[in-house]
Amino acid sequence: MRTTRRTFVHGSMATAAASTALTGLPWQRAMAQESGGTIKAVMQGDLRAFDPIWTTANITAYHGAMIYDTLFALDEDMKPQPQMVDTWTVSDDQLTYEFVLRDGLAFSDGTPVTSADVVASIRRWAVRDGAGQHMMLRVKDIVARDDKTFAIELNEPYGLVIDIMAKTSTPLLYIMREQEAMTDPMEQVTEYIGSGPFIFNREETRQGAQYVYDKNPNYVPRSEPASGMAGGKVVKVDRVIFENIDDSQTAMAALQAGEIDFMELPPIDLLSVLEADPNIVIDVLNNTGNYGLMRLNFLYPPFDNVKARQAMLYLIDQEEFMQATFGDPRYYRKCPSNFACGTPMENDANTEWFAAAPDPERAKQLFEEAGYDGRPVIVLHATNIDFMNNAAQIVAQRLRDIGVNAELATSDWGGVVTRRAVQDPPEDGGWNIFITWAGAASANNPIALAAHAANGTKGWFGWPTDEKHEELRDEWAAAQGLEAQQEIARQIQENAWNFVPHVWLGQWVSPVAYRSNLEGILKIPEIIPFWNIERKAS
Amino acid sequence: MLGYIIRRLGSTVLVMGIVGVFVFLLLHLSPGDPAAIVAGDNATPEQIAQMRERLGLDDPLPVQFIRWSGGVLQGDLGISIFSNEPVAKLIGERLEPTISLSLTTIVFAVVIAVSFGVLAAWRAGTLIDRALMGFSVLGFSVPVFVVGYLLIYLFSINLRWLPVQGYAPIADGIGPWIQRLILPTIALGLAYVALIARITRTSMLEVLSEDYIRTARAKGVATRPMLLKHALKNAGVPIVTVIGIGVALLIGGVVITETVFNIPGVGRLVVDAIAKRDYPIIQGVILLFSGVYVLVNLLVDLSYSFLDPRIRY
Repeated sequence: MRTTRRTFVHGSMATAAASTALTGLPWQRAMAQESGGTIKAVMQGDLRAFDPIWTTANITAYHGAMIYDTLFALDEDMKPQPQMVDTWTVSDDQLTYEFVLRDGLAFSDGTPVTSADVVASIRRWAVRDGAGQHMMLRVKDIVARDDKTFAIELNEPYGLVIDIMAKTSTPLLYIMREQEAMTDPMEQVTEYIGSGPFIFNREETRQGAQYVYDKNPNYVPRSEPASGMAGGKVVKVDRVIFENIDDSQTAMAALQAGEIDFMELPPIDLLSVLEADPNIVIDVLNNTGNYGLMRLNFLYPPFDNVKARQAMLYLIDQEEFMQATFGDPRYYRKCPSNFACGTPMENDANTEWFAAAPDPERAKQLFEEAGYDGRPVIVLHATNIDFMNNAAQIVAQRLRDIGVNAELATSDWGGVVTRRAVQDPPEDGGWNIFITWAGAASANNPIALAAHAANGTKGWFGWPTDEKHEELRDEWAAAQGLEAQQEIARQIQENAWNFVPHVWLGQWVSPVAYRSNLEGILKIPEIIPFWNIERKAS
Repeated sequence: MLGYIIRRLGSTVLVMGIVGVFVFLLLHLSPGDPAAIVAGDNATPEQIAQMRERLGLDDPLPVQFIRWSGGVLQGDLGISIFSNEPVAKLIGERLEPTISLSLTTIVFAVVIAVSFGVLAAWRAGTLIDRALMGFSVLGFSVPVFVVGYLLIYLFSINLRWLPVQGYAPIADGIGPWIQRLILPTIALGLAYVALIARITRTSMLEVLSEDYIRTARAKGVATRPMLLKHALKNAGVPIVTVIGIGVALLIGGVVITETVFNIPGVGRLVVDAIAKRDYPIIQGVILLFSGVYVLVNLLVDLSYSFLDPRIRY
């Protein structure tokens, strides 16, 4: 046979393809070799800061869960369980909690974890955490009794001590070495030495590209099976790498090609592509998910008037908001509870408005009763986050539909974050409405979620004021036991839907996607643990 | 010539100074407060104010500017608000991927585009010419990210010939380095191929109609030396100018390409920083980009005298 240029090229390509099929290309072989004990995960964003107390960014809380340990932790039923703590007691007068640390706790530099580390860590965390601040108002002292025993002494009974130490909303109470924990809470620590199941490998971490965590060979897990953040944190891989892939399409392609193993936030509208791939599993790890939130500025008209705030309850159709961003009804739900649905504090007190909504005529009438005078209503509009972008536009349009002069103030989320803190009148750089969301697990807790406070201008953006609400929150915090808390939660909600501190826009879950050879992924709201995960041969 | 270079370098410093003032004012006067972002979603106004004070953001703008520019003059670009790392270090870590992608793109674009342009001019009016110019229009028209996704779909997901994403440092070997740059280079380079090819064709057509080319042909000079030695060199000034302009455009394209192909370069660093209002990083990167732009223009200007000895400085 005569060899022509064409037959030569075809033959070469066929040979190359055949050899590739047999042995894989060099990059594929290299990946296969390195991935035996390694999980590569694309999380929700870039890990820009490493101090999980200094920032409330969820990704930094994930980083914290890798390298630090917690005193208590929530199990998969959201019940607090001891983690670093071995035993604890509460005095008869409910004023002294005494804790003993379990044996074998050590930081990754080899030094043992002592009560002094714990006390300093609690003090630093409490400055930055809303629930921690709430607890510290009732704390007389936190003392180290000996190397393994410490105590929290209270001024008054407080039923949330254990819950707050176990919570998964950011910032979590991670235990650091005393020398780091003594750092000013407004400044970042510069060494990242924890006593958790992984060690942060700074040598191989490339900021903005990949963050490397190696198994901590000296970590002593608890003997109980892993459950949520609680139980034995048994690490079954050698290494976990958080790959920072900004573009979700690229991350999806990398998952399909086997270049990464786990993707936290695959785009909902492209899930069908992943669902069709037999090598990919779609799963919901956080069953309560997130709860869309619309904040109303209590300081200025029209929302300084309760009628205008009540109007918003009747104006909003949660289905519309959920459909616009999340599309697939498998992943969202409508919910009338002030504490999110599927949570222990969920209840149906005072939710008649929910059955009636949307009722634009009623909303229009309430705006009239509020004396709305046609002034512009400024809706802060973040364009770079889908839910916020869509929701702000829907709110503005629905307001216009009933004759309210809604104006969108468009920026990115960074711009909204800045402007929402402005307490000046809307026409002088302030605002009337902004959109955000909260973890539903946090919304369940009237203390942990700052948006639940109604303590005026010292509180969270929107600055609602209601004395009865604050009294009820304090009662909830002092309540002993779940039933007592649930009863008070009903009262809080009964009152809340009268004065309307905010409006919820619907609840959704975000499925994760991972290669089917990963097993043992734990389910817990707001944190994704990487212990207990095994990587089987594919 | 030396005096000219020194004057131009002096003007570079002046330009960067003006850019520095402009960027500083633009950032600090536009909406966005890193303190509010750092303080977190649950922070109260009091906590945000505390954080602002801690970061020095509550100082008057002139004080903040003097502090920053004083550091820059001593080679200190400041500390990133979020990562707490020196900006120079962060930029340094990201330079290699960006330089690699830029260089491979320029080489790819120039080699392909000049060949296309010369071929199209030589075969002006033929099917080859129309096909190449049609390709150029396509290259201009299709956005970088669309080309990127199509290349990923074809070569990474379907054929599995090349990796989807990522960057391998050159220290890991030329093989992995080039493998991860092939797709991004093609995606980013297509627009420049189109741009340079069209200019090359136009410039070559002009030169090919000159009397000296007719004379060369009449003297029996072969086609290849006639095209490459006589025509292309004389058509070079506009081509080099476009390549210089292309480098400036490349900076914008690099940002998108780095995102699509997950290359941890300077482009992504600055995009991340803008979202978080990490002022020191944004200022540092824009200073760097402006310096590169001015220097590239200087090199282009200097290359004119090489291509056309009549040009003197």
